[in-house]
Amino acid sequence: MHQSKLKSIAMTSLVTAALVGANAVAARDLMVVGFGGGFQDNARTALFQGYAKATNQKVLDDVYNGEMAKVYSMVKAGDVTYDVIMVEAPELVRGCEDGVFEKMDWSVVKKDKFIPGGTSVCGAGAVLWGVSLFYDSTKIKDGPDTYPKLWDLKTFPGKRSLRFGPKMTMEIALMADGVAPADVYKVLATPAGQKRAFDKLDQIKPQIVWWKSGTQPVQLVGSGEVAYAVGYTGRVVRANEGGAKYPLLWKTLLYSVDSWAVVKGSPNAKEGMKMIEWITDSKPLLALAETWAVSPANAEAAANPKLREKNPGMLSAHVNDGLFINTEFWVANGDDLEAKFNAWATK
Amino acid sequence: MMTRNNLFAGALVAPLFLLVVASFIVPLLITLYTAVNNPEVRATLPHTTAAVRAWDGVGLPPDDAFAAIARELAEAQEAQAIGQLSRRLNFEQTGLRALLLKTARAKDRLGPPWRDTMIELDPRWGDPELWQLIRRNTSTLTPLFMLRSLDFTITTDGSIAQAPKEDTVFRSLFVRTFEISFWVTVLCVLLGYPVAYTISTLSQRWANIAMALVLVPFWTSILVRTTAWFILLQREGPVNALLQAMHITDAPITMIFTRFAVYVAMVHVLLPFVILPLYSVMKGIDPVYMRAAASLGAPVWKRFLRVYLPMTMPGVTAGALMVFMLAVGFYITPALVGGPDDQMVSHFIAFYTNNTINWGMAAALATLLLLATGILVVMARLIVPGFRAGNLKL
Repeated sequence: MHQSKLKSIAMTSLVTAALVGANAVAARDLMVVGFGGGFQDNARTALFQGYAKATNQKVLDDVYNGEMAKVYSMVKAGDVTYDVIMVEAPELVRGCEDGVFEKMDWSVVKKDKFIPGGTSVCGAGAVLWGVSLFYDSTKIKDGPDTYPKLWDLKTFPGKRSLRFGPKMTMEIALMADGVAPADVYKVLATPAGQKRAFDKLDQIKPQIVWWKSGTQPVQLVGSGEVAYAVGYTGRVVRANEGGAKYPLLWKTLLYSVDSWAVVKGSPNAKEGMKMIEWITDSKPLLALAETWAVSPANAEAAANPKLREKNPGMLSAHVNDGLFINTEFWVANGDDLEAKFNAWATK
Repeated sequence: MMTRNNLFAGALVAPLFLLVVASFIVPLLITLYTAVNNPEVRATLPHTTAAVRAWDGVGLPPDDAFAAIARELAEAQEAQAIGQLSRRLNFEQTGLRALLLKTARAKDRLGPPWRDTMIELDPRWGDPELWQLIRRNTSTLTPLFMLRSLDFTITTDGSIAQAPKEDTVFRSLFVRTFEISFWVTVLCVLLGYPVAYTISTLSQRWANIAMALVLVPFWTSILVRTTAWFILLQREGPVNALLQAMHITDAPITMIFTRFAVYVAMVHVLLPFVILPLYSVMKGIDPVYMRAAASLGAPVWKRFLRVYLPMTMPGVTAGALMVFMLAVGFYITPALVGGPDDQMVSHFIAFYTNNTINWGMAAALATLLLLATGILVVMARLIVPGFRAGNLKL
């Protein structure tokens, strides 16, 4: 390498180091972290930058995949770079007990605007999400529309795609075995019930293609890799908007709620609370609904008739048909069942 | 005695030494420590720890232990510090998390006599085995993570036993990991040897081109290469289309999410690691030896087996060793193209790190993987001819 080139590289790295150092000293912008995808792309305009415009607070956003290891390390090391974060219900409860999230400041965030079950010690409800059974009705005329039928390999041959993990999959197995939705968690809490779920899964194990990320079910059905899949309803609705013909089988719905939380030790904790109050209000949520079909956890927005009409996949209209994924059950039994599921699946 | 030269040499080596200590030895020691560390009970329940340690272990502990745990659980929940403890004890015995949280929430209903009010709240507090479990976990170190990683468990009375059948996974997982790594290594050597030989006999110009063909994939991200195999092998992918177009099969063959796909992708990713050392060794072999063997009347196979192969063994062993050690730790490739029963130990290390945040289990599995690999490599050194550290030419 030439001497001059070396020098210029050395200069560049010095300048970069100086810039990075300077940045670290300056006060940090508010950092919002979500699961990415279409929701975040649209929430960026309607919610994050909407808040930024309304308050003159600079807001940046980043993406994570829902795995909490990074957030735990951050809090442990005292170097918190996330402020407001979107989390799933069990992670929220667990992180709250572990001191990874700040307790919600209900004097800033108005607690009574959320749907029932939309708030907890450390979180304020953001959006509802759910999974349901679907298939391509251009390839299959009358597919299975209940979980017992999904287990009927004779009438409905072909591969099925289920989530790789006990959550949702074990509930589905029990419902396929005839357990009433209201009794699913009672049965699943017993060793005999867990065995029953695994035995039921064993019946179709060779026909299962597992999915791990939420984009997969729609891809797998779209490419013909599998005939039927249980996947996120939001993505099924989106696929239908793009011309696909996947029936929405609301009787097979399992749903839960994602929440906003503030990471413990965030230097912007106060700002974060204010932002959560703003982005859970019905006005910005209705603005978001103009570009993206959401199922907000804000009661007023959820009841909005125009929104219900606009978004056929709006979960709050169908929750009576579905099974609410029991957060407390999964916090209490998740680790044990995850290990058991992994042992069963990788055998 | 230190001379100036020694000092100078020491100063030159110091940066490397520090790098090795900081980036290798320290993380390794932290991992080893995490695999046996047991801080939760002592950190969250200091007074309870003192009380149960003073207890003789017969029957139920005195009332002050009940009082201490009731108070400390409530405090821990208020301070958002109960999670690690409840999860740790729940890992010992499923259901304990619920008991601890219930007790923490019921603080207003508890009071002297603590023992009676707590047993009234939940009869499990009257079980001496629960108290022995808590006492056992006031120790600084725990063998539980290591035992669980080998499909053992600690029973309620504190003795070691086989894990229940539905929980056993790790022994077969280790066997599978080494089995896959072994066959990947064998395939890499069988495929890489003729390639390296051919390249070493080419003229400089063609050798450069051939080398580039080996190196370009090598420089490509492993994720990209694995994803490429995913696309090639899927049900409606090019390979199936080709097979059907050539009428070799009528319906698409399931290749993705199988062991076959794992072997194909892993061998492809790891092949350069055996070709490169083999090539460098083969380049250094003087053709005069082979000619001498021929002039003494040795047939081709004998020339290869008795002269050429032994001289290339250092390259074979160096390449095989690298491929094997890399294969043992593979994660991305089996995760993307394999099914659930093709996952290796790394899958579970990532699972415990990211999903259940059980870093004790992740560290224990990592430690065992390291130990097992180390033992296998040492055994290979003793058994395989030409496998000596001094022969490792790269």
